[in-house]
Amino acid sequence: MKDEIALTAYKCKKCGKLHYPFHDRCLECRGREFEKVKPQGNAKLLTYTAIFNLPWGFDQRFLIIGVAEFQNQVKAMGQIKAESVDQLKVGMNVKPSWEPIRVQNGENVYGLKLEPM
Amino acid sequence: MRDVAILGVGMLPFGRRDEDSLMDMLAAASLKALDDAGLGNESVDAVYVANMGGGMLQHQASIASSLVDRLSLLPAAAETIENGPASGASAVKNGVLAIASGYYDTVLVAGGEKMREVTGWRATDFVATMTHPQAEYPYGITLPGMAGMFTRLYMEKYGVTREHLLAISLKNQEMGTRNPYAHVEMALDREGIFDSPHAVVNNPVSADPLHLYDLCPVSDGSAALVLCTVEAAKKRGKPYVVIAGFGQATDTHTLAERDDPTDLKAVSLAAQKAFAMAKLKPSDVHVAELHDAFTILEIAESEHVGFFKKGEGGKAAVAGKTRLGGQIPINLSGGLKARGHPVGATGVAQMVDIVWQLRHELPENRQVKNAQVGLTVNFGGFGNNVLCFILRRVEP
Repeated sequence: MKDEIALTAYKCKKCGKLHYPFHDRCLECRGREFEKVKPQGNAKLLTYTAIFNLPWGFDQRFLIIGVAEFQNQVKAMGQIKAESVDQLKVGMNVKPSWEPIRVQNGENVYGLKLEPM
Repeated sequence: MRDVAILGVGMLPFGRRDEDSLMDMLAAASLKALDDAGLGNESVDAVYVANMGGGMLQHQASIASSLVDRLSLLPAAAETIENGPASGASAVKNGVLAIASGYYDTVLVAGGEKMREVTGWRATDFVATMTHPQAEYPYGITLPGMAGMFTRLYMEKYGVTREHLLAISLKNQEMGTRNPYAHVEMALDREGIFDSPHAVVNNPVSADPLHLYDLCPVSDGSAALVLCTVEAAKKRGKPYVVIAGFGQATDTHTLAERDDPTDLKAVSLAAQKAFAMAKLKPSDVHVAELHDAFTILEIAESEHVGFFKKGEGGKAAVAGKTRLGGQIPINLSGGLKARGHPVGATGVAQMVDIVWQLRHELPENRQVKNAQVGLTVNFGGFGNNVLCFILRRVEP
């Protein structure tokens, strides 16, 4: 696990719209200048699914994936640290962390993990 | 702009076609369409090929150039169109624009995909490559996974239930048994996949809350059509089908960035553009082929194109309003759910089925009586690139 959530959102300097992932122009006003924003605090689970037919590269039985919104409105996808969707509910609080999400070419790839609170 | 007609159509049965290469399938469907158009050995001005995975799955590029060569259509112009699962309708749109502009008079559009020659593991990964390369794909998200997250939100917001989804599965697989071109020609038994204790085994969760029979199969297949000017179609002296209207719209790449992820804006906008161009409204449509890669999509699209109010699509399906003989018959081909979903072929196949409907050529158990207007929705990514077409029958 890494100390920092290495995810960067982008706030339009012209209209304030928050973007993640990066866009070259603001979705709202087409402004081209952005302030980098780090996700803050815990997050709220917006939706989730458990996937049982996984893509190439994932040698496991299933994956639980969801989309969460941080306290400063940054929204992002992450893998959920749960054994079953029975432990989950839309709107519940989740604790974010930056951990290995897959292995590629023998190396860990890090990404957002979400742990139900 | 000149009006554009569909002069001929052709399709190969979808399914697992181990004996055919991708080029075999594209060529065979094209020849059927050229023969149906009565072109004999005449050539065409241009060929557009819809294909998403040739580069990844067959290690083959420049597929349209190869098809022109296979069919001895040289020196016709040739281009391959890759627009994810909406490649088919995108290729048709490019053909329509080329004729409407006056630049070409006759265009062949062929769509094809060969997905079964790789493992399910690889095919799932191939389709997932259309998700966002940094914000989605690395997490292991799949298109069924995207649909699962969408379904959960749609259920919470609009009260869609598994019973509603089941109505789509049962209807479309029943229609598949009536369609010789369908991949899945097996009717489903409600007891076996929903009511009985064995349902958990027969119909397991695939991408919660979606189950196995909420998903389309992975298929091989091809379809083709020939576009021409209305003047050329009139000369045939029999009823023909015109492109009455079309629309295309895009939405954010990631689902997370949509203000309301249950709002399929690109579907609504594409349909609104198509209806405006056709000077028609949803109640004028007699038959539709919607992009039901997942059962929830047939429900959501039936609402977003305007057949039903938001939250009413599932209830309408349960009430039989989308069956043959209902208010608006949807996916009488079996849809992607049963006909199958060879991604590059789907958008073309949807239009081939609607042409058969509007030419009144289907058997009674699939034909909408006196159908005059048909609609297709071809849904790319997870709704981030959508095309809607409206086709109309014209008497000579």
